[in-house]
Amino acid sequence: MTKPRKYELVYVLSPEVSEDGVTELHKQVEAIVARFEGQIERTDNWGRRKLAYEIGRHKEATYVLEVIDGSGDLMKEIERRLKVNEQVLRYLVVRVDEELKAADRAKARRQAETDRRGARRRTPDAQSAESAASADAGEQVEE
Amino acid sequence: MSEERRSSQGRSQGRGGNRQSSERGGGGRRGLFRRRKLCKFCVEKIDYIDYKDVRMLTPFVPDRGKILPRRISGVCATHQRQLQSAIKRARQIALVPYVTD
Repeated sequence: MTKPRKYELVYVLSPEVSEDGVTELHKQVEAIVARFEGQIERTDNWGRRKLAYEIGRHKEATYVLEVIDGSGDLMKEIERRLKVNEQVLRYLVVRVDEELKAADRAKARRQAETDRRGARRRTPDAQSAESAASADAGEQVEE
Repeated sequence: MSEERRSSQGRSQGRGGNRQSSERGGGGRRGLFRRRKLCKFCVEKIDYIDYKDVRMLTPFVPDRGKILPRRISGVCATHQRQLQSAIKRARQIALVPYVTD
Protein backbone atom coordinates (compact mmCIF):
# COMPACT_ATOMS: atom_id res chain seq x y z
CA MET A 1 0.00 0.00 0.00
CA THR A 2 1.07 3.53 -0.50
CA LYS A 3 2.39 5.18 2.55
CA PRO A 4 0.00 7.45 4.39
CA ARG A 5 0.09 11.15 3.78
CA LYS A 6 -0.31 13.80 6.35
CA TYR A 7 -2.98 16.39 5.92
CA GLU A 8 -4.10 19.38 7.86
CA LEU A 9 -7.76 20.13 7.79
CA VAL A 10 -9.09 23.42 9.06
CA TYR A 11 -12.77 24.09 9.06
CA VAL A 12 -14.52 27.30 9.91
CA LEU A 13 -17.94 26.96 11.44
CA SER A 14 -20.70 29.45 11.65
CA PRO A 15 -20.85 31.08 15.09
CA GLU A 16 -24.38 29.81 15.60
CA VAL A 17 -23.10 26.28 15.89
CA SER A 18 -23.07 25.24 19.53
CA GLU A 19 -20.33 23.36 21.34
CA ASP A 20 -22.30 20.19 20.81
CA GLY A 21 -22.53 20.92 17.14
CA VAL A 22 -18.76 21.23 16.98
CA THR A 23 -18.16 17.91 18.71
CA GLU A 24 -20.85 16.38 16.54
CA LEU A 25 -19.04 17.43 13.39
CA HIS A 26 -15.76 16.26 14.82
CA LYS A 27 -17.33 12.85 15.39
CA GLN A 28 -18.47 12.75 11.81
CA VAL A 29 -14.97 13.49 10.61
CA GLU A 30 -13.63 10.88 12.97
CA ALA A 31 -16.05 8.31 11.56
CA ILE A 32 -14.96 8.99 8.00
CA VAL A 33 -11.32 8.78 8.99
CA ALA A 34 -11.96 5.47 10.73
CA ARG A 35 -13.84 4.13 7.73
CA PHE A 36 -10.91 4.86 5.45
CA GLU A 37 -8.45 3.47 7.96
CA GLY A 38 -6.75 6.75 8.55
CA GLN A 39 -5.77 8.27 11.82
CA ILE A 40 -6.35 11.57 13.53
CA GLU A 41 -3.08 12.74 14.91
CA ARG A 42 -4.43 15.67 16.81
CA THR A 43 -7.41 17.92 17.03
CA ASP A 44 -7.22 21.51 18.00
CA ASN A 45 -10.19 23.69 18.67
CA TRP A 46 -9.19 27.30 18.33
CA GLY A 47 -12.54 28.45 19.56
CA ARG A 48 -14.20 31.55 18.30
CA ARG A 49 -12.11 34.12 16.50
CA LYS A 50 -12.68 37.20 14.45
CA LEU A 51 -12.71 36.72 10.73
CA ALA A 52 -10.39 38.78 8.58
CA TYR A 53 -13.31 39.49 6.28
CA GLU A 54 -17.01 38.91 6.49
CA ILE A 55 -18.33 35.63 5.23
CA GLY A 56 -21.99 35.97 4.47
CA ARG A 57 -23.03 38.16 7.34
CA HIS A 58 -20.73 36.61 9.89
CA LYS A 59 -17.95 38.52 11.54
CA GLU A 60 -16.58 35.76 13.69
CA ALA A 61 -16.50 32.00 13.58
CA THR A 62 -15.29 28.84 15.25
CA TYR A 63 -12.11 27.26 13.95
CA VAL A 64 -11.15 23.62 14.28
CA LEU A 65 -7.90 22.09 13.12
CA GLU A 66 -7.41 18.39 12.58
CA VAL A 67 -4.17 16.74 11.61
CA ILE A 68 -4.93 13.55 9.76
CA ASP A 69 -2.85 10.70 8.43
CA GLY A 70 -4.57 9.03 5.55
CA SER A 71 -5.11 8.63 1.85
CA GLY A 72 -6.24 11.10 -0.75
CA ASP A 73 -9.56 9.32 -1.07
CA LEU A 74 -10.18 9.90 2.59
CA MET A 75 -9.64 13.61 2.26
CA LYS A 76 -11.79 13.67 -0.83
CA GLU A 77 -14.63 12.16 1.10
CA ILE A 78 -14.19 14.60 3.97
CA GLU A 79 -14.15 17.50 1.56
CA ARG A 80 -17.29 16.27 -0.09
CA ARG A 81 -19.04 16.11 3.26
CA LEU A 82 -17.87 19.51 4.40
CA LYS A 83 -18.90 21.07 1.14
CA VAL A 84 -22.44 19.89 1.67
CA ASN A 85 -22.62 20.96 5.29
CA GLU A 86 -24.25 24.33 5.73
CA GLN A 87 -22.61 25.03 9.06
CA VAL A 88 -19.20 25.00 7.47
CA LEU A 89 -18.34 28.44 6.18
CA ARG A 90 -14.88 27.54 4.95
CA TYR A 91 -12.58 24.61 5.01
CA LEU A 92 -9.03 24.07 3.93
CA VAL A 93 -7.17 20.87 3.31
CA VAL A 94 -3.42 21.06 3.02
CA ARG A 95 -1.04 18.20 2.52
CA VAL A 96 1.83 18.86 4.85
CA ASP A 97 4.09 15.81 4.99
CA GLU A 98 6.41 16.92 2.23
CA GLU A 99 6.62 20.48 3.45
CA LEU A 100 7.48 19.36 6.94
CA LYS A 101 10.08 17.03 5.53
CA ALA A 102 11.60 19.89 3.58
CA ALA A 103 11.62 22.00 6.71
CA ASP A 104 13.36 19.25 8.65
CA ARG A 105 15.93 18.96 5.92
CA ALA A 106 16.56 22.69 5.97
CA LYS A 107 17.03 22.51 9.69
CA ALA A 108 19.45 19.61 9.46
CA ARG A 109 21.39 21.36 6.74
CA ARG A 110 21.74 24.50 8.76
CA GLN A 111 22.80 22.54 11.78
CA ALA A 112 25.46 20.77 9.75
CA GLU A 113 26.65 24.05 8.39
CA THR A 114 27.04 25.73 11.73
CA ASP A 115 28.96 22.70 12.95
CA ARG A 116 31.28 22.85 10.01
CA ARG A 117 31.75 26.56 10.27
CA GLY A 118 32.77 26.16 13.86
CA ALA A 119 35.27 23.49 12.84
CA ARG A 120 37.10 25.51 10.20
CA ARG A 121 36.53 29.10 10.91
CA ARG A 122 39.87 30.22 9.53
CA THR A 123 39.49 28.97 5.97
CA PRO A 124 37.47 31.45 3.96
CA ASP A 125 37.89 29.37 0.80
CA ALA A 126 36.16 26.41 2.28
CA GLN A 127 33.53 28.65 3.71
CA SER A 128 32.49 30.25 0.45
CA ALA A 129 32.48 26.86 -1.26
CA GLU A 130 30.22 25.65 1.48
CA SER A 131 27.74 28.45 1.17
CA ALA A 132 27.65 28.01 -2.59
CA ALA A 133 26.81 24.37 -2.08
CA SER A 134 24.11 25.15 0.41
CA ALA A 135 22.63 27.74 -1.92
CA ASP A 136 22.41 25.02 -4.55
CA ALA A 137 20.76 22.67 -2.14
CA GLY A 138 18.31 25.39 -1.21
CA GLU A 139 17.09 25.55 -4.79
CA GLN A 140 16.10 21.95 -5.11
CA VAL A 141 13.78 21.35 -2.23
CA GLU A 142 11.87 18.68 -4.10
CA GLU A 143 12.42 15.11 -3.01
CA MET B 1 30.08 42.91 9.15
CA SER B 2 28.12 43.11 5.94
CA GLU B 3 28.69 46.84 5.91
CA GLU B 4 31.92 46.50 4.00
CA ARG B 5 30.28 45.87 0.66
CA ARG B 6 27.92 48.74 0.59
CA SER B 7 29.75 50.72 -2.09
CA SER B 8 29.57 48.35 -5.03
CA GLN B 9 26.08 47.64 -6.15
CA GLY B 10 25.01 44.19 -5.17
CA ARG B 11 27.91 42.41 -6.79
CA SER B 12 31.13 42.43 -4.89
CA GLN B 13 34.35 40.61 -5.29
CA GLY B 14 36.17 38.79 -2.55
CA ARG B 15 34.30 36.69 -0.09
CA GLY B 16 30.85 37.86 -1.03
CA GLY B 17 28.07 35.51 -1.89
CA ASN B 18 27.51 33.99 1.49
CA ARG B 19 25.11 35.60 3.93
CA GLN B 20 22.29 33.84 2.07
CA SER B 21 20.35 35.51 -0.67
CA SER B 22 18.74 37.88 1.79
CA GLU B 23 20.88 40.84 0.92
CA ARG B 24 19.64 42.78 -2.03
CA GLY B 25 19.03 46.27 -3.21
CA GLY B 26 18.81 48.86 -0.54
CA GLY B 27 22.41 50.01 -0.79
CA GLY B 28 23.33 51.18 -4.23
CA ARG B 29 24.58 54.61 -5.03
CA ARG B 30 21.80 56.76 -3.69
CA GLY B 31 21.18 56.40 0.03
CA LEU B 32 24.73 55.85 1.05
CA PHE B 33 24.06 54.71 4.54
CA ARG B 34 20.98 52.67 4.08
CA ARG B 35 20.91 49.71 6.34
CA ARG B 36 21.01 46.37 4.62
CA LYS B 37 17.77 44.54 5.01
CA LEU B 38 17.90 41.04 6.35
CA CYS B 39 15.52 38.20 5.87
CA LYS B 40 13.59 37.93 9.09
CA PHE B 41 13.03 34.22 8.64
CA CYS B 42 16.69 33.48 8.01
CA VAL B 43 17.73 35.49 11.02
CA GLU B 44 15.24 33.83 13.31
CA LYS B 45 15.94 30.45 11.73
CA ILE B 46 12.38 29.67 10.81
CA ASP B 47 12.20 26.67 8.50
CA TYR B 48 8.51 26.37 8.02
CA ILE B 49 6.23 29.34 7.63
CA ASP B 50 2.95 28.21 9.03
CA TYR B 51 -0.22 29.56 7.50
CA LYS B 52 -1.98 29.10 10.84
CA ASP B 53 0.35 31.45 12.65
CA VAL B 54 -1.35 34.76 12.06
CA ARG B 55 1.04 36.66 14.20
CA MET B 56 3.90 35.65 11.95
CA LEU B 57 2.07 36.64 8.78
CA THR B 58 0.48 39.97 9.63
CA PRO B 59 3.68 42.05 9.43
CA PHE B 60 3.83 41.04 5.76
CA VAL B 61 0.25 41.96 5.01
CA PRO B 62 0.05 45.73 5.33
CA ASP B 63 -3.17 47.73 5.62
CA ARG B 64 -4.19 47.32 2.05
CA GLY B 65 -4.18 43.56 2.38
CA LYS B 66 -1.53 43.03 -0.24
CA ILE B 67 1.52 40.90 0.30
CA LEU B 68 4.51 43.03 1.16
CA PRO B 69 7.05 42.86 -1.68
CA ARG B 70 10.41 41.54 -0.80
CA ARG B 71 12.13 44.63 -2.07
CA ILE B 72 10.62 46.33 0.94
CA SER B 73 10.69 43.63 3.54
CA GLY B 74 14.08 42.19 2.61
CA VAL B 75 12.85 38.62 2.85
CA CYS B 76 14.95 36.18 0.84
CA ALA B 77 13.54 34.47 -2.23
CA THR B 78 13.07 31.10 -0.62
CA HIS B 79 11.20 32.46 2.31
CA GLN B 80 9.17 34.90 0.26
CA ARG B 81 7.90 31.96 -1.75
CA GLN B 82 6.92 30.10 1.38
CA LEU B 83 5.44 33.22 2.89
CA GLN B 84 3.39 33.83 -0.20
CA SER B 85 1.73 30.45 -0.15
CA ALA B 86 1.22 30.68 3.60
CA ILE B 87 -0.58 33.99 3.22
CA LYS B 88 -2.69 32.67 0.40
CA ARG B 89 -3.74 29.71 2.47
CA ALA B 90 -4.50 31.90 5.44
CA ARG B 91 -6.68 34.06 3.24
CA GLN B 92 -8.81 31.13 2.23
CA ILE B 93 -9.88 30.50 5.78
CA ALA B 94 -10.25 34.17 6.65
CA LEU B 95 -7.25 34.46 8.93
CA VAL B 96 -5.77 37.14 6.71
CA PRO B 97 -7.72 39.58 4.54
CA TYR B 98 -7.79 39.56 0.76
CA VAL B 99 -8.49 43.26 0.65
CA THR B 100 -9.13 45.94 3.19
CA ASP B 101 -10.25 49.46 2.71
